Amino acid sequence: MTAALRRFATARDALVYGGAVVAAALVGVLLVLGGGASVGTAAGALWNGMAGTPYAFGSGLNAAAVLGLIAAGFTVAYRAGLVNVGGEGQLAVGGIAATAAGVHLPEGLPGMIGVPLVLAAGFAAGACWAGIAGWLKTSRGTSEVITTLLLNFVGLGLLSLVVHEEGLLRQPVTSADTLPQSAPLAEAARLPLLGSAESPATVAVAVAAAAIVIVGVVLRRTATGTRLRAVGLSVPAANRLGLRVGRLQVGALATAGGLAGTAGAALVATVPFVLAEGFTAGYGFAGLVVGLLARGSVTAVAGIAFAFGLLASGGINLQLEAGVPASSVQVVQSVLIIFIAGAVVLRKERGR
Amino acid sequence: MNPALELTGMGKTFGTVRALDGVDLTVAAGEVHCVLGENGAGKSTLCNLIYGTAAPDEGEMRLFGEPYRPRRPADALKSGVAMVHQHFSLVPTLTVAENLLLRDGLRLRLPHRDLGARVAEIEASYGLRIDLTARAADLPVGDRQSVEIVKALLRSPRLVLLDEPTAVLGPAEVGALMDTCRRIAAAGRAVLLITHKLGEIETAGDTATVLRGGRVAGAGPLAELGRDRLVSLMIGRPPEGLSALVTAGLDVPAQRTEPVEERPVEERPVEERPAGVAEDGTGVRIEGLRVRRADGSAALDGVDLRIAPGEIVGVAGVEGNGQSELVAALSGALAGEGRFEVAGTDLTGTGPAERTAAGVGIVPEDRHHEGCVPAMSVAENLYLGRLGEFRRRGLLDRAALRAAAAAVIGEHGIRAAGPDAPMGTLSGGNQQKVVVARELALDPLRFLVAAQPTRGLDIAAVDAVLARIRAAAARGAAVLVVSSELPELLALCDRVLVAYRGRLLGPVPCSAPSARAEIGDLMVGVSA
Repeated sequence: MTAALRRFATARDALVYGGAVVAAALVGVLLVLGGGASVGTAAGALWNGMAGTPYAFGSGLNAAAVLGLIAAGFTVAYRAGLVNVGGEGQLAVGGIAATAAGVHLPEGLPGMIGVPLVLAAGFAAGACWAGIAGWLKTSRGTSEVITTLLLNFVGLGLLSLVVHEEGLLRQPVTSADTLPQSAPLAEAARLPLLGSAESPATVAVAVAAAAIVIVGVVLRRTATGTRLRAVGLSVPAANRLGLRVGRLQVGALATAGGLAGTAGAALVATVPFVLAEGFTAGYGFAGLVVGLLARGSVTAVAGIAFAFGLLASGGINLQLEAGVPASSVQVVQSVLIIFIAGAVVLRKERGR
Repeated sequence: MNPALELTGMGKTFGTVRALDGVDLTVAAGEVHCVLGENGAGKSTLCNLIYGTAAPDEGEMRLFGEPYRPRRPADALKSGVAMVHQHFSLVPTLTVAENLLLRDGLRLRLPHRDLGARVAEIEASYGLRIDLTARAADLPVGDRQSVEIVKALLRSPRLVLLDEPTAVLGPAEVGALMDTCRRIAAAGRAVLLITHKLGEIETAGDTATVLRGGRVAGAGPLAELGRDRLVSLMIGRPPEGLSALVTAGLDVPAQRTEPVEERPVEERPVEERPAGVAEDGTGVRIEGLRVRRADGSAALDGVDLRIAPGEIVGVAGVEGNGQSELVAALSGALAGEGRFEVAGTDLTGTGPAERTAAGVGIVPEDRHHEGCVPAMSVAENLYLGRLGEFRRRGLLDRAALRAAAAAVIGEHGIRAAGPDAPMGTLSGGNQQKVVVARELALDPLRFLVAAQPTRGLDIAAVDAVLARIRAAAARGAAVLVVSSELPELLALCDRVLVAYRGRLLGPVPCSAPSARAEIGDLMVGVSA
């Protein structure tokens, strides 16, 4: 009976998601028509931007990797009942730490050592950043939604500071035209390309894939995953049963921050290999959206991150080829989110 | 003359559960009609249908001859049906007068003067006394209940519903409440009293309807039905074969023919129990335990307690006198001052994990909040604290976990679809069996704290849970049972302490014939 019920629930889920996608696509068509392009041209342009060329596909994959890392981390915290809204700030500090490590790597160091070092620096910084919120949560009871959100602004402020101050990470100022950004990362710190020279996809894609698989295995198949789930479902019961609730919560939030920090490191270790203001480009919030839509499922994180990454690169091409604003892709994504979130809320209401 | 309330063929289904099925019920004006039944028999559902909080799937209701179909409580109130809730619905920070005036909705100026006159009238005719200027939060439970009743009577209802009104009251207060019920009926109104305790209604009720499994098992005047017949109607079998414990759960006063010694405490003669801990440091020692509430008042005010291995000590008392805080402080969920020692190990200031490791088992008061995680499986709930034992190549060995859980399910007679069934799909009794099984599985179990271990359980489950607690004591654990079911404590414990304003009064040995009366006095602070 339960199996049948579950199958029914899955079918209904598919219906909800499918319906939302169709509705969002309709909105997209309206936007395209409003933009003065025909649906055929727009679809062709979008497709070309997503998978038409190795270059487009590769940059889509890179974006997907960043989103996937953040969303996988979000899912870990979510399993423990915590909502990490701080992806943007964690990206920023991860990028700062990776740059600090990356610009100082000695000449001639092999990438086999340099790249893991840079990514680990990003992870550590992001983990510490989110750990602040975790510590406040367990010691003071402050809501992690508030603290992670506010730490975004601190993190972005910190980024602005380090790229403007010569004593920190700003490249040596030689003329009035010197941009406020870091010196380029050392050769050893740059992420190698994954495949052919035409595709910009880097090893970040492999790192993200591995992170998602590990997160999936830990959450589903280990004692730690089960403990996190218990904490997420009922803190008092988990406490009663002797679980180290505080440690699990801080650990989950730090993992979320660490994965976001890794994504930040991956962003600065890809072309153009510099840390600059605005390098986070809203990825933190987009990753949060991916995590929210996946609703705790690691498989869904992989799928949605892939789709959103490709759509982002497709949107750029939509503007270039069809003259439809790239932001229409964001509008479509937002509509999708509203529909899915709405369906979830509606179902909860009816379930009462 | 038309009956006050007439129900025909009432049915209600929740999901797959048939909560009510073809229930007929007639209440005449001027009588106290009791609806009896075990937990889960459908009493509260019936109440909700009459008060409009839920809509019936089928059946017809007539109120004084007119069709009656409330869609929400406001409709019920308009038709002259008032309800006194099981859990009080007063705003704690408002005064009693403000609480009583809330019912009229928003007004610019509250009509305090009219209220005083109306309340005085009600007080005079029903023998109630309330203090209109007191803050609701400052009132003892008994007084709060009086306020609830006055609130219901203010609208001059034709029918008054009382849903398990005695759950939180001491014996003296129960007596006063029954008296009030009689007076309400004498004033020509109809009273529908819903309860699972037989003892208390015998003085107040006129007629009764017994529900069992959502159907009417029997009905008629109380005087004709008789106590034995009522018990057998409620539980569906003759009462002869039942243990004293089971009838205790229904609050049936002990039959005169049955000697007290027949309480099943076989191998543990009460006289040999040391009243406290042996000097060799075994057993449980609690000294000067103090817990403060958030507002700074003392929830526990210096509790000293010694429990010897194998001894069962009960804590009775009106709810809110520190029992919950005592359990929370012992489980490690709440920090308090004072010393706590189990079998010579000092556990002062330790967390739940250390206490579990030291052999302290806790059956929490609120199953859903603390006792288990409803969304997780039975197996996970049983072994959540011991997942480290089920590890294979770094991963969780679900097969072993399932097998271990299946063994426990079989051993404790837990009715579940299997080890993977979510805890939330089990009935309350089976959930409690899982919690008890988990806590009893501690090895060694040195101290078992059971808070309201039988709340919300049906009779068979009560029996099983209490037998397990007794078996734990027989194996040498010190046991502390906190319960609001006094008869249950009397049947189970060696001695009973009474929680009163954060302190433990007593002890009252349970073998004393006057135990019940003594405890009743202590509960309201008569003698200390």
